[in-house]
Amino acid sequence: MKKPSAMAVTVLVLLALVCLFYLFPVYWTLVTSFKFGNEIFTYPPVIFPLRIDLANFFQPSTTAHATNQTAIGSIPWLIDSTVVAISATLVSTFLIAAPAAYSLVRYIRNIWLGRLILFMTMIPEVVFIVPFFLIVAEVNLLNSWWGLALVYVSFAAPFATWLMMGFFNEVPKSVEEAAEIDGLTPYQIFYRISLRLVTPGLIAALILCFISCWNELLYALILTYSPYPTGAETVPLFITSFLITDKSFAWGGLAAAGIFTMLPTIIMGIFAQRYLARGLTLGAVKG
Amino acid sequence: MRLSKTLRVGLVLALPIIVYFAIFFIYPLALLFKEAFTTPTGVLALTNFQKMLTDPVLLTTLQNTFYYFAGSLGLEFAVGFGVAVLLYNYIGRFRTLFRTVIFVPLMVSPVVIGLMWVLLLDSQYGPIDYFIRLLGLQPLNFLGSLSLALPSIIVANAWEYSPFVFLIIYAGLQTVPQQLYEAAAVDGMSRLQAFRYVTLPSIRGVMLVAFLLDAIGVLKGFDLIYVITSGGPGYSTYILSFYAYKVAFVYFQTNYAAALSLLFLAIIATFVTIVLKFTPVEEYLGLRRGKE
Repeated sequence: MKKPSAMAVTVLVLLALVCLFYLFPVYWTLVTSFKFGNEIFTYPPVIFPLRIDLANFFQPSTTAHATNQTAIGSIPWLIDSTVVAISATLVSTFLIAAPAAYSLVRYIRNIWLGRLILFMTMIPEVVFIVPFFLIVAEVNLLNSWWGLALVYVSFAAPFATWLMMGFFNEVPKSVEEAAEIDGLTPYQIFYRISLRLVTPGLIAALILCFISCWNELLYALILTYSPYPTGAETVPLFITSFLITDKSFAWGGLAAAGIFTMLPTIIMGIFAQRYLARGLTLGAVKG
Repeated sequence: MRLSKTLRVGLVLALPIIVYFAIFFIYPLALLFKEAFTTPTGVLALTNFQKMLTDPVLLTTLQNTFYYFAGSLGLEFAVGFGVAVLLYNYIGRFRTLFRTVIFVPLMVSPVVIGLMWVLLLDSQYGPIDYFIRLLGLQPLNFLGSLSLALPSIIVANAWEYSPFVFLIIYAGLQTVPQQLYEAAAVDGMSRLQAFRYVTLPSIRGVMLVAFLLDAIGVLKGFDLIYVITSGGPGYSTYILSFYAYKVAFVYFQTNYAAALSLLFLAIIATFVTIVLKFTPVEEYLGLRRGKE
């Protein structure tokens, strides 16, 4: 073992600064959510609050800056997000992506189809807002779970397909050939053998599709206009609608809602980090 | 003519995605063209595209989009690359901890990231202007300033996406064979020379992938603008995605918005085509087997 060199110390210090850069915004939001009422609106700002107050998570605030936004108040939006994200994810991954990816890797091998899938993952959501609005309005699904879930499939499916193609590519052909000799039909081989072998890929696709649907803002903005039970507004809209209208009022509650609603994706993300790195980078990082 | 068994099985498995493709790509694309090439009363015309040529807001928007694109991409690459090299050179116990911390922004929803930066950059109660006052300087009022709003968005964007660049580059660095460094040391190269002549050439591929995917991510950006500045002040943070949304659902000029969407799609398609055609990035995405 060498003694810590000047170089090693510099690296450590710089990395600590990097962590500060990535953590300070999260810390500040957390601290804001713990501050009660007017403590948010004091000068100088309180950097280290001495007492932690969870009122912003549970009770409507009662100060001069009162608006009754609390993290608990976001529950109707959470219900919508959960239903929409789960249904879009299941349809995209199991019904569309898994068989399509298998087909593109084993049966219809064509580089142009691969390029097409890749290109479709790169189309910005905003490009199709006008047609999707017209289509969803036409089938009378505006402001409903299924209308939004349907549109979410549009970006989740190609992404999941691309991701699964990478995983199917790694299944050794010999396994499938052995199953064929045993008399399994191609569909049985797909369903019983290959799909089981790409479980990590399936998990990565499920989690990443879920997170991207959970976080999606633009389509929710144009396709929904009230939360459960009358409509289907999702969590991002809970945050933006109050942020845009009462920018200087409901900060404590909004910060609490932000913290509260990002917990599911952060927890999922940290535990599945290795799988997700591969998915997020479209296969460039092998997990 | 009978289909071969391979093709038949392949088509059956691909049936859902073929249906998907018709409903979610071909049909919307056709609708988009129809809307873009008609007037609000349904007459076939090029008015929407003529309007683009004389639309001063579009000109501002395109300029902003360019600065936003170049600024974000540059900053994200610099930060992501720098952090990856730093962590690669770190020898110690906290490697996994650092990696996890840097991973966090990727899991936070863009809307919440927007909320965070609104809290941070607020001119009255935000901590950043407070620190600036502590230094005895005038507060900068980042989000209310015509010249600082877009750079603020770029920094927030870099916070969100630099971990993504980091992830790719860091993974690439770990694939560089250790023997190459040993050989470089034997040849008497300094660390800096080894970095220049061993590391950089070895991670060219992953750098390309990071560049392409990050560029696409930046171009897709909408949420941060919507949450942090809503395009303001004035038109100073209008970018193409935000403008198309605004034209469609705030000004209700559906046809013009469709034309703008087509313009955006054309820009993306051109960019992707150029990158795929002139760089070997496909090999690194696993699309094509390269020479190894």
